[in-house]
Amino acid sequence: MYNLLLQSSDWALFIGRFHPVLVHLPIGFLIITALLEVLRRFDKVIVSESVIRLLLLLSAIGATLACIAGYLLADGGGYDHELLDSHMWKGIGIALFAWIAWLLKSDLLTARLKTAPVLASSLLLVATLLTFVAGHDGGSLTHGADYLTQHTPEPFRSLAGMPAKVVEIAELGPIADVPNAIVYVDIIKPVLERTCTQCHGPGKQKGDLRLDNLTAMIKGGKEGPAIVVGKSAESELIKRCLLPLEDEKHMSPKGKAQLTENQIALISWWIDQGASEDKKVAELKTNDAVKPALASLGSSAQNEVADKTTSEPEIKVALGNPQAIEALQKVNFLVRPLAHGQNLIEVSAVNKPGLTDEQVGLLKPLSEQVIWLKIGGTKITDNALKAISGFKNLKKLHLENTAITDAGLDALKDMPHLAYLNLVGTKVTDDGLKKIAALKGLKSVFVWQSAITEKGIEEIRKTHAHIQIVGGLNEESVAEFVRLGEAKTLN
Amino acid sequence: MSFYRELENHVHEQLSRRNFLSKTSLGLGAAAMASLLNADDSMAKKVIDGTPEGASLPLGKPHFAPKAKRIIYLFQSGAPSQLELFDYKPKLEQMWGQDLPESVRKGQRLTGMTAGQSSFPLAASKYKFARYGPSDLMISELMPYTSSIVDDVTFIRSMHTEAINHDPAVTFFQTGSQQGGRPSWGSWISYGLGSDNQNMPSFVVLLSKGRGGDQPLYAKLWSNGFLPSVHQGVVFRSGPDPVFYLNNPEGIDKTSRRRMLNSLAKLQQAQFEKILDPEINYRMSQYEMAYRMQTAVPETMDISKEPEYIFDLYGEESRKPGTFAANCLLARKLIEKDVKFVQLYHQGWDQHGNLPNDIKTMAKSVDQASAALIKDLKQRGLLDETLVVWGGEFGRGAYSQGKLTKDNYGRDHHPRSFTIWMAGAGVKKGFVFGETDEFGYNVIKDPVHVHDFQATVMHLLGVDHERLVFKHQGRRYRLTDVHGKVVKPILT
Repeated sequence: MYNLLLQSSDWALFIGRFHPVLVHLPIGFLIITALLEVLRRFDKVIVSESVIRLLLLLSAIGATLACIAGYLLADGGGYDHELLDSHMWKGIGIALFAWIAWLLKSDLLTARLKTAPVLASSLLLVATLLTFVAGHDGGSLTHGADYLTQHTPEPFRSLAGMPAKVVEIAELGPIADVPNAIVYVDIIKPVLERTCTQCHGPGKQKGDLRLDNLTAMIKGGKEGPAIVVGKSAESELIKRCLLPLEDEKHMSPKGKAQLTENQIALISWWIDQGASEDKKVAELKTNDAVKPALASLGSSAQNEVADKTTSEPEIKVALGNPQAIEALQKVNFLVRPLAHGQNLIEVSAVNKPGLTDEQVGLLKPLSEQVIWLKIGGTKITDNALKAISGFKNLKKLHLENTAITDAGLDALKDMPHLAYLNLVGTKVTDDGLKKIAALKGLKSVFVWQSAITEKGIEEIRKTHAHIQIVGGLNEESVAEFVRLGEAKTLN
Repeated sequence: MSFYRELENHVHEQLSRRNFLSKTSLGLGAAAMASLLNADDSMAKKVIDGTPEGASLPLGKPHFAPKAKRIIYLFQSGAPSQLELFDYKPKLEQMWGQDLPESVRKGQRLTGMTAGQSSFPLAASKYKFARYGPSDLMISELMPYTSSIVDDVTFIRSMHTEAINHDPAVTFFQTGSQQGGRPSWGSWISYGLGSDNQNMPSFVVLLSKGRGGDQPLYAKLWSNGFLPSVHQGVVFRSGPDPVFYLNNPEGIDKTSRRRMLNSLAKLQQAQFEKILDPEINYRMSQYEMAYRMQTAVPETMDISKEPEYIFDLYGEESRKPGTFAANCLLARKLIEKDVKFVQLYHQGWDQHGNLPNDIKTMAKSVDQASAALIKDLKQRGLLDETLVVWGGEFGRGAYSQGKLTKDNYGRDHHPRSFTIWMAGAGVKKGFVFGETDEFGYNVIKDPVHVHDFQATVMHLLGVDHERLVFKHQGRRYRLTDVHGKVVKPILT
């Protein structure tokens, strides 16, 4: 008996899940019937009465089947009762009206009842309008009440009197002061709201579970409490998240946004530490497992891809002047955005060995945007550097194999971020090296084949140990390299 | 009505089904690319539109600021033995000649070459290891020059792969799939990042051999697969005529060539307007590229102005075109010209037998030049922006293939563990990542799968491997398929 019951409930749900499929049949039929009926009234189309009758019959049958499936689906539970009720009655209404309209159209009634055609048309119209309302209810049941209008753009938003769009929780922002953040309110709740409460919240309670407040979590749902205070390993909430993605019981469902490792670590830690509603991070004991997760909260690294991805600090600058960029490209500069979504640009003269000082002047309108500049191997002189003085965001500068001298390097003094400077094959001397050693941000300078001497390098190394000064090989050092290698080579 | 009828006829006439399909699929690819490039952002649009000639080329910008602008991949084809070169295992000396314990192998599949062996006697490296540099890294005496650059290098000792034979394993490394047909790594990079130097292809291939009679290589390894054909790797040979069919035939001068190309472009344009196949444009941009390369390539490949001591640095063989050393020197010259992806292949590492002798020959053919390349890039300030990778397609096993004697033994293929090294932009210096067991057989710490490695290199180049996708035949493809995790601990 039990088996049979179990099986029958399986059947019910199986059929029930066809509701979203079936439901579109009567919607389509009713709309087309209503449309034909209206157009026929205005003599726009020629449709015989029998076609309308057939369509009405199909609408009625479709609506009835959709009602049955819908009822079985609702039995599975987890929906907002009020909304569900209203949706159900509207659905039944549609089926009923469709049947009556069909009956009224039958020869039998048309002959006896004078008002039958008008009545039938009115019912058809009502039924059609009802499909819109019921359909919207159905959508709200599945996707949540504000699904349709969530992304209403301005100005329609204000016109409709809707509140301004709340910044989506989907992007979890960095937390400014992690130790003083309240664990539940500032860390856990936003995560749950982003990933869980759409199905387990005020709108919908799948498995009778709500995760939008602590009491409801401890109370749990059909399959017991979601969290066991102090024991994350026994908490269903954590267990579900750790199941393999393919597992039927894995949460959140495959295809929906998943909790990250860090987020699971944080929730587990919070449960283990007593699942307090008001304690701050600093008040709870941290362990090794949660440290990296906590560390990630401070930066914008919460969306895991974002961390450690950039070699450059985020410098916010305005979009470069398009005309200026065009002018550069016209003389064959290569201009590239540093990365997707950034206004900083990289400019290279790799395709422009004949580059002159004047053409470097074209860079001036982009003084904020240029972060990497490669003008080595060209015909530029010290005057070119004057054109780029005050490029405050410049980080990498290639001047190798040009006629640059010490005098030109004065122009670099207001470049606090300049970290990489290539002076290979220039006429720069020890005096020039002294000048650039004063640059605050300088990390590496390349001086091979310049006029800078070994002695000059030594001197700067003494006072500026943090700057990597890369000399290079010459005949003797290569001979030494080969001698050492040969000595170690096996016969 | 008649207008529609006309249009319909026109379309029927002009578009065969195949053309239509390829057009639309490429159209979708281009759309995907457009979103990658965020082409609606006006600056990006300017940048893309501003390219001379191939306005249709997907000229990219990275997903995030790259640490490495270019890469030189010194691929060691045939699979060098990590046990003789990089991964020191004293246990093999203690257990020399004893059978590999079954608890280590755990029934792992072997190739047909040793699966039938009645015993698996453990073979220790004939060559000694020593520690070098402030980072105190162990490396074999077969690599005396490489030992001088260990402080610039990250060694990954825990590489592992899925393939057990050369062709699928190399193909797996280069295209992300064991079966051919997918775009090569360099093609993906070219597709995603475009080319900086308008006169050179962004993906260049150089070939060399350390020893005759080894595993062959195939053009599929640098093929563009289903990506537009402009992203195909271009093989540069050493010597006076580096690129096949690049020079004008005898009797044709530069002006005639130009006129021919201009007329051809008109024909191609007419054809394109008719059938709308973007490959026509790609082909035309290839012709134009070849025309520009006629000047640019001889300039780049000209090593006559290199000073003597630079040849000395790379070793005697660097004077001999077609050797690994000569190719390393060329690789540097290509990098100086901002070529994005320089792919070297060096053949001859498949030591199934006579390993001690042959691996010595092989090590000698690469050691000095590899170290020289690092030093040369460094002094030019290029190592800060360039990534250099050195490694083969899999490793070699701990037991001897064939008879084991004190002086002679062989090693079979071993996908479960091997070592590669990387140096340059964005990777740690003097660093070892991952660990194998005492037989060098299984990875016991921090395994790095080929897809992880690919993801990591893409990451260094500013590309999110999960977002560089191309839709082809109804599915979205990427180099790392559905796998790959960036190995963050080796990044600076």
